[in-house]
Amino acid sequence: MTQVRIEGLTKRYGSATAVDRLSLQVENGQFVSLLGPSGCGKTTTLKCIAGFEEVTGGRILFDGRDVSREPPEKRDIGMVFQSYALFPHLTVAGNLAFGLEMRRVPPAAIRERVARALDMVQLAPFAERYPKALSGGQQQRVALARALVIEPRILLLDEPLANLDAKLRDEMRLFIRDLQQRVGITTLYVTHDQSEAMTMSDLVVVMFDGRIAQAAAPQEVYDLPASEAVARFVGNANILQGNVRDGVVHLAGGASPVPMPQLPPGPVRLMARPEQISLVQAGVASDMVGRVDHSYFNGSHVDYRISTDAGDIAVHASTAHIFPAGTPVGLRFDPARLWPMEPRA
Amino acid sequence: MIAARGLSSPRMLVLPAAALIVVFVVMPYLNIMVMSLRTPAQGNPYGEGFTLQSYLTILTDAYYYEAVLKTLRLGVVTSITTLALGLPLALHINRAGRRMRGLLIALVLSPLLVGIVVRSYGWTILLGNAGIVNSTLRNLGLIDRPLPLMYNELGIIIGLTHVFLPFMILPILSALQSIDPAVSAAARSLGARPFTVFRRVTLPLALPGIRSGTILVFVLAVSAYVTPALMGGMRIQTATLMTVDILIDQYRWPFGSALALTLSIAAALMIFAFGRMTRTRWTQ
Ligand SMILES: Nc1ncnc2c1ncn2[C@@H]1O[C@H](COP(=O)(O)OP(=O)(O)OP(=O)(O)O)[C@@H](O)[C@H]1O
Ligand SMILES: [Mg+2]
Repeated sequence: MTQVRIEGLTKRYGSATAVDRLSLQVENGQFVSLLGPSGCGKTTTLKCIAGFEEVTGGRILFDGRDVSREPPEKRDIGMVFQSYALFPHLTVAGNLAFGLEMRRVPPAAIRERVARALDMVQLAPFAERYPKALSGGQQQRVALARALVIEPRILLLDEPLANLDAKLRDEMRLFIRDLQQRVGITTLYVTHDQSEAMTMSDLVVVMFDGRIAQAAAPQEVYDLPASEAVARFVGNANILQGNVRDGVVHLAGGASPVPMPQLPPGPVRLMARPEQISLVQAGVASDMVGRVDHSYFNGSHVDYRISTDAGDIAVHASTAHIFPAGTPVGLRFDPARLWPMEPRA
Repeated sequence: MIAARGLSSPRMLVLPAAALIVVFVVMPYLNIMVMSLRTPAQGNPYGEGFTLQSYLTILTDAYYYEAVLKTLRLGVVTSITTLALGLPLALHINRAGRRMRGLLIALVLSPLLVGIVVRSYGWTILLGNAGIVNSTLRNLGLIDRPLPLMYNELGIIIGLTHVFLPFMILPILSALQSIDPAVSAAARSLGARPFTVFRRVTLPLALPGIRSGTILVFVLAVSAYVTPALMGGMRIQTATLMTVDILIDQYRWPFGSALALTLSIAAALMIFAFGRMTRTRWTQ
C-alpha cells in the first residue's frame, strides 16, 4: 500500500527537543515498532506522521510525496490511540461509520463495510452499544476497527495495549499482528514493552532521547545490539570486560581465555545474554568461576544470580539441574554468542 | 441492640438530609399550595374556606396571564442570549492557556462579585438616556433621539444576560474540558475538517453542559427580582415583581401564592419539555 519515509524529522517544544533528526524508512506492508523508554519521543514521532503536530524540521514522505505540511484529514491515516479516543456520543456502528461518512461513501456501502469490519474484530453483536457500555478490550477492538474500516494507507498505533490486563494483552498482540498480515497494511506501532515489539514486528526501532539508537530485525536487536543501552533495554544483558591478545579474550575475573579470533587486540566489552551462559559444577573446566547468590525457580527455567570476581552475572538456565544458593559453580560462555559492544576497536 | 442496628441502617443515615428537605422545601411548598386555595378577606391576609377563584382570575384576566407569559418570554430570550454569548466564550476559554484561562474565568465571574446597586448604577451610566452609548451615537450623528435601552424589556434582558452569563459558561466549559483531546484528533485523522469536528464531535459532547446552563439561566431569569425591578424601572411588571407586590404591599396572600405557583408550574413544564427535546442517549 504505502511506503513511509522520514527524513531528518525534528520536533522541538520551545527549547526542548522531543525528536531529533530522526530518519527511517518503512516499507510497504511492513510492521515497524518504535520502542523506547518513557519520554523518548515515540508519541511525538507518531503525531508528526499523523499531522497532529507541525514538524520543526525534516520531511515525511508517503510513497515519495512530501506530506509534512498537509493537515491530518488529508493524510488518510488510521490511528489507534492509547486512550482509544472513541466518540462517546456515537454507537459502535456510528464510530465506525464516521470516517466513511467523511469520505462521502453512500449509506448502503457504509452499512456493509461497517458490518464487515465489526465481523473482523468479532464485535457484530455490539453494533448498537455506546462505548461506555463496553469493556476495555472491546473498546480497543472498536478503535482498531474504526481505524481500519476507512482502508487507510498507514496504520498508526500508540501503545494500544497499555491499558489491558496481561492475558488480554497477549491475545490482542497476536490478534493485531494477524490482522495486519491479512490486511497487509503498513503499520507503525509505538510501545515501551520490548517483548511486544519483538513478537510483533518486522523491524524494531529503538529510540532514546528523540534519536534512533538502532533499527533492525527483532533478533538482530536482541543478539547484536548497537550499544550497551540498547542491550539493556531489550532484555537482560551481562557486560563482561576483557582484553584481546592474539585473537584470545582474557576476561576480567575469568578463569581461562576465550578464543575470539575476529576481534582486534585491545580492551573489549562483551555482552552475554543470561540464557547464553551455561552453568557447570565447580571443578569442571569453565571460563569463569563464581558462587550462586540467588536462584529463583520460575517453572520453565531457573533465574540465577552468580557472584564472580567480575561482579554479579545473571544466568537463565534449565531446570534439569538446580544449583542451590551458596553453591560454587563454573560459568561457560559460547564464544559465538558473545557480542562485542562499542567501542568495537 | 435493636436500636443500635436501626440507627446505623442506611435509611437512618438519610434522615437528617430528609428532615432538612421537608422543613425547608416540602413544607413551604405545601404551605403555598394550601394558601393559594384559600379565600381572600378584607383586613386579613386570607379568609375562611377554600376556592379556586385565584387561579380562575389568573387564567382569564389578561393583566395576569400576560405577566406570566412575559416573564417566561424574558426567561427564554435571556437563555438564548446567554447561550449565544456563552458558547463562543466557553469555546475560547477552553482553548486558552492555563494562566489565560484563569484570568478569563475570573472575568466571567466578575458580574457576580459586584454588588447589585453598583452594577445597576453602571448600567445607567452605560445605557441611560444620557449614558455613554446614547451620547456616543448622538455625537456621531447616528441618532437624533436617545435609544430606549433601559426601563423596558430590552434593559431587563441586557441586565439578566450580564448577571447570568457565568451560569451558562461554567457548565459548558466543564463539559468541554471533559472531552479527551484525542477524540478530536481521532476525528481529524478520520477525515473531518476542523469545522466538521466542531459540528459532529465538540458540539454534541458539549450538549449536556449547554442543557444544564440553559435550564439554570432560564430558572434564574424567571425568578429574578432585583434586576428586572431596577433595569425595568418598575415600569415592566413581571409575574415575579407582581407576586411580591401582591403578597407584601397588597397583603393578598392567596392570590399571590396562586400567581407564584402558576409561574412555577408553567416554568417547570417548559423545562421538562426542553429536557425531553435535548435528551442524550449516550450519557445514560
Ligand atoms: N505538547 C508538548 N509540549 C512540551 N513538551 C512536550 C509536549 N509533548 C511532548 N513533550 C515532551 O517531548 C518529549 C517526548 O514526548 P513523547 O510524548 O513523544 O514521549 P513518549 O516516547 O511517547 O513517552 P511515553 O512512553 O511516556 O508515552 C517528552 O520529554 C515530553 O515531555
Ligand atoms: Mg507516548
